[in-house]
Amino acid sequence: MQGPSPQKSIIQARLPFVAVFLVLMAAYLVINLANFQFFPRSVRQELEKIGSSVTNTTLRVPAERGLIFDRDGEPLAFNIVQYRLGVSPALVANDEALMKDLAAILDINEFDLFRKISSENVWEFIAGPISAEQGQAIAALDEISLGLEEIPKRFYPQGTLAAHVIGIVLDEGLVGSLGVEGAYNDTLSGRVLDLSISNVPFYLPEDRPSEQRGKDIVLTLDRDVQFWVESELRAAVEEFKAYRGTVIVMDPRDGDVLALANYPTMDPNRFLEIEDPSLLENPAVQDAYEPGSIMQVLTVASALETGTISPYWTYNDTGQLEVGGQKIYNRHFQAHGTADAATVLIRSLNAGAATIGLEMGTAQFYSMMRAFGFGQPTGVGLFAEVPGELKIPGDTNWSESYLGHNSFGQDLQVTSMQLITAFSALANDGIMRQPRIVRQVIGEAGVEEARPTTVRRVVSAETAAIVRDMMIRVVREGASGGFIRGYTIAGKPGTAWISTAVGQEYGEHSSIVTFVGAVPAYNPQAVILVKLDRPNEYYGYAVTPQVFKRIADRLVILLEIPDDDVRNRLEAAKTDISTDGR
Amino acid sequence: MSQTWFQHTFNRKRFRTRNQATAMAILGVAVLLLLGGLYLSQVASFAITNRGIEDLISRRDQLKRQNEQLVGEIASFRTVPRLYARAVEIGFRPAANSDIDYLLIEGYNPQRGYAQLERSVSIPLEEAAPVYAQTFSAWLEQQFTLLRDQFDSFGE
Repeated sequence: MQGPSPQKSIIQARLPFVAVFLVLMAAYLVINLANFQFFPRSVRQELEKIGSSVTNTTLRVPAERGLIFDRDGEPLAFNIVQYRLGVSPALVANDEALMKDLAAILDINEFDLFRKISSENVWEFIAGPISAEQGQAIAALDEISLGLEEIPKRFYPQGTLAAHVIGIVLDEGLVGSLGVEGAYNDTLSGRVLDLSISNVPFYLPEDRPSEQRGKDIVLTLDRDVQFWVESELRAAVEEFKAYRGTVIVMDPRDGDVLALANYPTMDPNRFLEIEDPSLLENPAVQDAYEPGSIMQVLTVASALETGTISPYWTYNDTGQLEVGGQKIYNRHFQAHGTADAATVLIRSLNAGAATIGLEMGTAQFYSMMRAFGFGQPTGVGLFAEVPGELKIPGDTNWSESYLGHNSFGQDLQVTSMQLITAFSALANDGIMRQPRIVRQVIGEAGVEEARPTTVRRVVSAETAAIVRDMMIRVVREGASGGFIRGYTIAGKPGTAWISTAVGQEYGEHSSIVTFVGAVPAYNPQAVILVKLDRPNEYYGYAVTPQVFKRIADRLVILLEIPDDDVRNRLEAAKTDISTDGR
Repeated sequence: MSQTWFQHTFNRKRFRTRNQATAMAILGVAVLLLLGGLYLSQVASFAITNRGIEDLISRRDQLKRQNEQLVGEIASFRTVPRLYARAVEIGFRPAANSDIDYLLIEGYNPQRGYAQLERSVSIPLEEAAPVYAQTFSAWLEQQFTLLRDQFDSFGE
């Protein structure tokens, strides 16, 4: 019998090895397959990501910015959409027809348009930003070659009204700057959301977070008051040829800022066209200046509170005083002989204020100045508020002359907001309220109410009343321009020289004048600060009381503040009603 | 020498027909086709619904934008300078203090209030989403109706 051929023998001999090899390979593959199912999480996620990138796309849902309203619910800032238009020239079926349609909607040159539509490029930018109406008209063309990209835009319907309070938004509606837009950017801006959308099969996820949209903000501003204040400020700056001006109206009872105006101002809808960058600053909180003799009021109040002087205190005014090697003079270098604290304020006696400051001493004086809030931001809720500068003993460059100069408002830097907050404390029986510009924050969860808060009691009610009485005399005897028929007004004008490296400026337009007044003097419902930079009159008493009067005249009507006679009769009638009802 | 398993394998040239297995295979394929068809029909219906939702969202956004545009225009018409100018035009003038009479009204709070704004709060998803309460028979009926509608639409 013939045995197997040699070739078959070889195959038979090798076959077990091949079989074993295949079995091992199969085992290896099975092990790897099993291992593949138990990849580390990171690797698995990466693979899933690669897989889903084929079937999923990401939809970016823009965060709608919260709106801003005044205290009566009038919109001050809200969102509109503009568009950016582009074209894919390769997809255009009829160049000429599209050119004519677009030219009619966009009102642009047909030749330029045609050049873009018939370009060799893959994508051509046509126009943008274009208005919502134009965008909608273009969308209605239903032209596949056109691409409309939405651009969120902030719109300020009131134009320049309260521009520095509201602020602006940069970066196509995403980042707030200046005013409330800047200070409350995190609250207003909301959250941009990236949604993963399945294309196979097409599926829109529903689980969008409810807190994606920004929160709305209601301000303490009164639009009507703001308008009148801005009108009067503008007139005053033009009349007195001032470099610029600021007016703030505050309710001392709760710290509400009812109006805040700066002039010159800007239109937040067109802030990119502004040539002077200083217009993008809010001087009321960002410009610290030497307030001048208006600070005498706070020096007297501090001295009364610390018991350094009494209402019957007097001194011999020689018209000058030397402090720390530097001489301090009264206005026009006049001497007034025996003068009391009220006279210091009525005649605006620098030497008198410095005398009181010296009698207080540095510890008490600077402690009271800190209590009035100088040297620290007020926290009113506006963008980039500065703390000002109040040098105290121990600080670099502080010298003894500072105490004398600080007593009448020189050699220290304060903001208008700090000043009005300090005077509002005097008007509110010595209790300083937290100044605030935001009254409500409205989110999906509901309304967050910003309750009035007390910062501290700065002086006693008795001290506040004494100082208010002195300020009433200031208006009657020293600044009669601030008198309003039928109302008792407490106020004080102030003049500050402008310091230079070698002393101070002289001549026209070389002072900063301020007036702070409370209306009505008894139970004040509004405190008004008027500040003009470099007016054509040097002294504040010749300028600012008139501006204050014009604003206060209208304010008492807008805020429904009856005159003294009516208020007294109403109080008497109220008393009668309560007596009868008893 | 008897055939090795290798030779036996290579020498088998004929396959026997197995009717039962073939029938099972055909049935399996038919079931798979049916399931595949149903799946595709379901996915198509799902995609159509979502496209519809997308269109509605797009329409909603468009209406919202138009609404905002109108709010903007209304706000622009209601600016104080404009209202003031119009008031003067039709014969009004700013009131002086002497024009105002104050009355004592018992219970009136002279403290100025402020607007209580309420945002149109979006409905929570739990409330907005329809409650799923479909039975299997209802689902089958729905699929049949969809299928019939598709056939009907082919005929048109």
